[in-house]
Amino acid sequence: MDQLENQPDLLISFDVALDGDHHATVTIAGELDMTGVDPLAAKVQNAFDNGVTRLTVDVGGVRFADSSAIALWVRWASVVQEFELRDPPALLRRVILAMGLDDKLGVES
Amino acid sequence: MSFVESAPASPAGRSATAEVQRSETELRPAAVRSSARLPVTTLVIGLAVTLALALVSHSQYTRNEKRLLKLRVRDAGALVTASVPSVETPLASAAELADATNGNIAKFKALVAPLATGAPRQFASISLWKLSALNAGPVAVVGSPPKLAASPSAAATFLARTARTPVLNVTGLLGAPDPRLGYAYATPGAASGYVVYAESPLPASRRSKLQSNSAFANLDYAIYLGPGQRPSQLLVTNLSRFPLPSPAVAETLGFGDNALTVAMSSRVPLAGSLPQRLPWIIAVLGVLLSIAAAVMTLRLTQRRRDAELLAGDLEVTASENRRLYAEQRGIAQTLQHALLPEVLPQIPGMEASAHYAAGERGVDIGGDWYDVLELGDSRLLLVVGDVSGRGLRAATTMASLRYAIRAYAAQNDPPEQILTKISHLVDVVDSGQLATVMCAVVDVDAHLITVTSAGHLPPLLISGGQGRYVETEIGVPIGVERGSSYTSTTISAPAGATFVAYTDGLVELRGETLDQGLARLREVATRGDHDLPELLRTLVSEMPRGSSEDDTAIVGVRWTS
Repeated sequence: MDQLENQPDLLISFDVALDGDHHATVTIAGELDMTGVDPLAAKVQNAFDNGVTRLTVDVGGVRFADSSAIALWVRWASVVQEFELRDPPALLRRVILAMGLDDKLGVES
Repeated sequence: MSFVESAPASPAGRSATAEVQRSETELRPAAVRSSARLPVTTLVIGLAVTLALALVSHSQYTRNEKRLLKLRVRDAGALVTASVPSVETPLASAAELADATNGNIAKFKALVAPLATGAPRQFASISLWKLSALNAGPVAVVGSPPKLAASPSAAATFLARTARTPVLNVTGLLGAPDPRLGYAYATPGAASGYVVYAESPLPASRRSKLQSNSAFANLDYAIYLGPGQRPSQLLVTNLSRFPLPSPAVAETLGFGDNALTVAMSSRVPLAGSLPQRLPWIIAVLGVLLSIAAAVMTLRLTQRRRDAELLAGDLEVTASENRRLYAEQRGIAQTLQHALLPEVLPQIPGMEASAHYAAGERGVDIGGDWYDVLELGDSRLLLVVGDVSGRGLRAATTMASLRYAIRAYAAQNDPPEQILTKISHLVDVVDSGQLATVMCAVVDVDAHLITVTSAGHLPPLLISGGQGRYVETEIGVPIGVERGSSYTSTTISAPAGATFVAYTDGLVELRGETLDQGLARLREVATRGDHDLPELLRTLVSEMPRGSSEDDTAIVGVRWTS
């Protein structure tokens, strides 16, 4: 799973890398809305099924995320032991703050 | 069972089936006819053009052949005409000698003997006749006896006529056997009056082949005495069967006092074989090309018809899709409206209004909602919420939250408790859903608004042409954790103030920060002087939601005093 999986119609790409020690890094780029959430959720669920308990979600390349995308991250944050949302762009951080999810997702206010 | 049995037995059903079958069989030949019309037309036009070209080519060929043949006939006629002096000159000499010598027979015989006895001899018989005694027969004969003398009266008539004409007289003695051509000449104006008469033999069969190396090889010919082509007057020919093969050309030429008719036809094309074959070449090529063009036209017609049928099918599918889309969208919107309040409570001193705008393309029902409840003591509870995701799952979660809030409000729970209680209804781990909810208790008489937010966007307070977002402590959305706690913030509202709450579809625009969207909303909201329903409609219509498929719910209240 070295390459980002391209979803050309959905303007989104993502990659799930299992780094060992029950850790996985999910890299997401592009626009993530409810049409792109299901394939991403299935991919990461597969990682959970393989024993992943620590998750880093790199969202540095995300240009847009709707509430269903944020709900997905909140769900991940609830089911793993360690969760990190890495490099959220300002735009994303603002939405997370507006939703009162900064503590839950570990985003500095 | 009864359905299966009764359906075929129904006369109406049977006639409907028959109708369908008939219309299908009627359709098919019509389609075949229309697809065959163009190729058949192409074939007919092609064949007609081919026929016309072949006919023109053939008539050109025939005309050309006739013209060339006529030239050959003239050539042949010229040869024949040129032979007249070779006959006339020796006879004229003999006639003059006879006149000059007063009928000296010895001198006459000495002069003409080489003509009738040499090899090849020109004449079979030459004789001298005295005009005053024609009935007595010839006064001298060289060669065989003249055949003319067998009929003395005819001879006398012919020779007497000769004496009156200054040219060579020609007569045919064509009876079998031994057919001959007779020539007579008398010196014009001679008083003593002798006539010289000669006969040349014709082939008994009248047949004479032309030498293969002659200029007239490959030509069939027939020469007749006199004008016209009467078989009895045939002098010579190379044919054994008549008539001459077409095309034949005949020309009548003067021959002494008489005439010869030369008729000819050619066994081979005079202009070469190509002009002769050209009509056939044109015909064969034309037919082949016509058939090829017709086949190609047929194929193109069929291909076009197939394409049209396909386009028709696609159009039908497209219109069916449009209809289904419109239907689904209609169903979704109907269901959505059924889940939203039909009428809002109106209490003295306060106006309430709400608006729901479906997303740009969606056929799914959304998870956005609004609600306005009357709490008593001139208080209203405004609720706006948004369940993440779309479709029936989002809608059912939305409905359960909406009715739960109504129920808890009815038992006088304050908003913070209401939100804590409904936080047990949704769990993001189980359902993947979150819901942002904002509750606002509006005290109409006290001009106070108490806002409680579960992750929801800040409501907007508009007063005196100014707008400000109500800053509150924002709790987590419903679904993040069960039993989460919430804090309320109370603000005061001036007389005539307008309070607007909304879902994120109104301000969420791709490629833009949330603050830009909020700033624009405030700008649009304070721009004009609208009544409340118009303000809400204006906010929805003037905010750029082009790229957003999200639904928008918006609810507002305005103090009327």
